[in-house]
Amino acid sequence: MAQIDVTLAPARRKKSKKRSLWADAWLRLRKNKSAVAGMIMLATILIVIYSSPLYLDYDNDVIKPDLTHTLQFPAEGKLLGTDELGRDVLARILWGGRISIGIGVLSMLLSSIIGCTLGAISGYYGGKTDGIIMRSLDVFMAIPSLLLMITLVSVMKPTITNLIIALAIGSVPSVSRMVRAQVLYIKGQEFVEAIRAQGASDFRIIVMHILPNAISPLISQFVMEIAGLILAISGLSFIGLGVQPPDPEWGAMLSSGREHIRDVWHVTAFPGIALVLTVVALTLVGDGLRDALDPRMKR
Amino acid sequence: MQKKLLEIKDLTIKFHTDDGVVEAVNKVNLTVHEGETLGIVGETGAGKTTTALGIMGLVDCPPGRIEGGSILLDDRDILRLNEEEYRKLRGKDISMIFQDPMTALNPVFTVVDQIAEVIANHQQLGEKEAEKKAIEMLELVRIPAERAYEYPHQFSGGMKQRVVIAIALACNPRLLIADEPTTALDVTIQAQVLELMKDLKTRSKTSMMLITHDLGVVSEICDQVAIMYAGEIVESGSLEDIFENPLHPYTNGLFGSIPDIDKEVEFLSPIEGLVPDPSDLPKGCKFHPRCKYAQHLCSIEEPVFQETSPGHYAKCFVYEGKLPVKEVKKYE
Repeated sequence: MAQIDVTLAPARRKKSKKRSLWADAWLRLRKNKSAVAGMIMLATILIVIYSSPLYLDYDNDVIKPDLTHTLQFPAEGKLLGTDELGRDVLARILWGGRISIGIGVLSMLLSSIIGCTLGAISGYYGGKTDGIIMRSLDVFMAIPSLLLMITLVSVMKPTITNLIIALAIGSVPSVSRMVRAQVLYIKGQEFVEAIRAQGASDFRIIVMHILPNAISPLISQFVMEIAGLILAISGLSFIGLGVQPPDPEWGAMLSSGREHIRDVWHVTAFPGIALVLTVVALTLVGDGLRDALDPRMKR
Repeated sequence: MQKKLLEIKDLTIKFHTDDGVVEAVNKVNLTVHEGETLGIVGETGAGKTTTALGIMGLVDCPPGRIEGGSILLDDRDILRLNEEEYRKLRGKDISMIFQDPMTALNPVFTVVDQIAEVIANHQQLGEKEAEKKAIEMLELVRIPAERAYEYPHQFSGGMKQRVVIAIALACNPRLLIADEPTTALDVTIQAQVLELMKDLKTRSKTSMMLITHDLGVVSEICDQVAIMYAGEIVESGSLEDIFENPLHPYTNGLFGSIPDIDKEVEFLSPIEGLVPDPSDLPKGCKFHPRCKYAQHLCSIEEPVFQETSPGHYAKCFVYEGKLPVKEVKKYE
């Protein structure tokens, strides 16, 4: 008798493993093509720029004027040409990027920490607390942020630390407004009340429950804000309050090349391209992060 | 007689809004004994949820305020507790199930994390142990452990409500307040959830306060019933008292508006009119504009909430002998 072995594969459920929110987000980020492209771009830019001290010599390559070779076009000796003092544009872009990106990221971090705290507190408690915090931030908002930064930097000394602080303070009002709006929306949802009914403290509700919900839609905004801050540093450098010469910085390079743009385009073009590439990479990563941090987007 | 767990005396909650004072809860008296289920029945806007939030200490303040009365849990007035002591009570001694399971869970955390959080919060357990206990709780509400690490949006409504129940029962509360736990669910799931709650309640000897507008649900799981109208309790008694011998005209009206499978009627007889605006309550008996037995007296004086037979209270002049009505009948 023919025996037919009918062993049906047991209906097996796909076992869900324990993964943290961030591990999950990473998995989803990897599936997003534009985010991966952005990450590769950003990683390349960061590695090349931050390893520049290994192959560049500050005194010889970056700040040493060579008045016999000023304003050389690309490929006439230096890959990206030389500027009005005969310095290698490529070397200055690489060195300057460390300052531009570093300041941009650090000041954004600082302002998002301050902004999240203030925004969350005023959104969650509302009433008088909200009034006091938001009205004092309105005072800052009444001054155009670039003017505010100029004032702050000129009151303090234009060192890099002070620059970071000034940029951060300048962007705190807008960041806290965004966070507050998100917190207000999330606070009204029923799960917050349910969590309160479970006996969670205010601190726990804000930090563990409201902020994780509030931040994921804001992450891309934050990342794009870094781009804005890099441009703001350029603005400050332009009027001599940002990074002090002879240190290179993308914005400063852009503005110094402006005088010669009719005759030699490369002095402004290349720092500009570097800036654009960084901003594009940051934006792509930011967009990807926003999608990845939202568990509802899981497929 | 069982021990009293929760006793509410003359609880009054008002909301001071720009449009006037909203009297949401007016001198409510309720008692929940240990292991007992009290059903609170009433129309939308009768103040059921506000009473529940009052017990939890979660009335939004401002504009809401508890104006008077006391809430005794084990003979201790919990309204006198400070915020920190109250917070420790929530989730541990009293916990609450909310109406809509779709929105009662935090969308960015896995369900097991959300259960573990309450446990870790109240029981000083390590992360690992809390998680282990959370998975046990999930299995108790019949959700397979494999699904513990999924997010709320991957669950159906009934499963979410079961997760909410697991959270509420995670710390073995003395009192569970369930605010319309089945309203947002479809009928087959309702039955499952009710069955589960009944089962878990008897197992853990938790007392329960069930808020609902569904008399069918009440008859399934409640021992005691209180009927609420316009922020007041108009009738209360045991399940048999209320279902076999409803006294108050409003209770009779409620029963009259339920379709009866045995009787062939053309139309249902609903209670005419609308629930009064709680910021502009009628004088005298709050129900008199809609009551078909109402007389002049009802619009001037307020009836007393009095005992008509042991354990059965009603608030109507008929039972004070002040109205020439022999018997209040079901609305037909």
